[in-house]
Amino acid sequence: MTTELPEDLEAAGMSGEDVETLSLEPERLDGHTIDELADYLDAGMVPADPSIDDSPSCQNALDALTRVRMLSHGALEADALDEDEREDDWITEILTNISLEAHAGRDIPLPPLRETENSVITEGAVRSIVRRAGDAVDGVLIGRCTLEGDVTVPRAPVSVEVTARLLHDHGSTSAAVREAIAVAVGEALRTHTELAVTTIRVTVRQDGAAPVPEEER
Amino acid sequence: MTAQPRRVDLVDADDETLVERAGHGDVRAFEVIVRRYGPLMRSYARRVLGRTDDVDDVVQETFVAAWQQLPSVDDPAKLKSWLMRIVSRRCVDRIRSRRDHADVADHESEAPEHETPHRRAEASSREAAVSQALEGMPVAQRRAWILKEMLGHSYDEIADDLDLPVSTVRGLLSRARKRMIGAMEGWR
Repeated sequence: MTTELPEDLEAAGMSGEDVETLSLEPERLDGHTIDELADYLDAGMVPADPSIDDSPSCQNALDALTRVRMLSHGALEADALDEDEREDDWITEILTNISLEAHAGRDIPLPPLRETENSVITEGAVRSIVRRAGDAVDGVLIGRCTLEGDVTVPRAPVSVEVTARLLHDHGSTSAAVREAIAVAVGEALRTHTELAVTTIRVTVRQDGAAPVPEEER
Repeated sequence: MTAQPRRVDLVDADDETLVERAGHGDVRAFEVIVRRYGPLMRSYARRVLGRTDDVDDVVQETFVAAWQQLPSVDDPAKLKSWLMRIVSRRCVDRIRSRRDHADVADHESEAPEHETPHRRAEASSREAAVSQALEGMPVAQRRAWILKEMLGHSYDEIADDLDLPVSTVRGLLSRARKRMIGAMEGWR
């Protein structure tokens, strides 16, 4: 049965040794192929196809497909649990090989400490300041932080956009959480940078909920 | 009186937050990603590559590449499947270069070589039975099955990852389905 296989199929690892399961051939599945049934499952069994739904042999095959899918999925996750805990060395090696410049962003001027000096702080460092300030708010983790405006020009107006996630709900209103983040971020930026911040917009997501609409400060 | 502010540990962060932070240069967030998905990626790479030193290298390379590309992630909530696609591409590259160097024309039909130390000799659980069935598959069939049924990739994505025509991918999966169902018949 392999003799007629095109070369690319052979190269792709097909062989005649594959197990033939006769009960999965179309003549045993009321004319459907097992692949049609798999596609039907993938599509969430919609639109409904009575020729499949009303066929006991198709239903058996669908059960079998679902079962091997579930088991396959479980097998990889189970393997992952079996994986030895990696030494910190292994993780450290990754972290030392990543390029920190990759996400440094723009250079933002700082007032020179000496006349001859040209001090800058990277956009990445400013984001880090924003994260640290926002994370200090009860139950909150900062996500994205975007600086809009020409930060490379001293005193140019800059607006800050921050997304945050509320992981521990402690009863504060969303508005209060957004306000607390905006205040903390604003203070930190005033302390550590020379940015002329005009607005701080905060979007807060809660688990499973759509993002709470932005609020301008 | 006033409750102590509760700082949230990054380990508890959702993937989306981690992607956003890491994409903006937060190395600690990236470390959490590495710890969260490293084991799954290694177990995937081990299934595809076999038990070789390559497994650790491939996963490390994957993470280093992922760090660069993080800002381009379209849907941060799909971090896992995004990482799995990168590692699967890297595995395929590795297999190709191995094949090219070893000059083995029919590498694809080579017997699967991997057995994790934890793999039982006999199928003592359904998961082990699945693993055995997988190990008995031709390599390309196994890869296609893993990508489709373990990682939920589409036919087009698999064709892209494995550098095969979609029709070939469909054929591989058709055989893999029959084989798996046949192998798992005793486990109803």
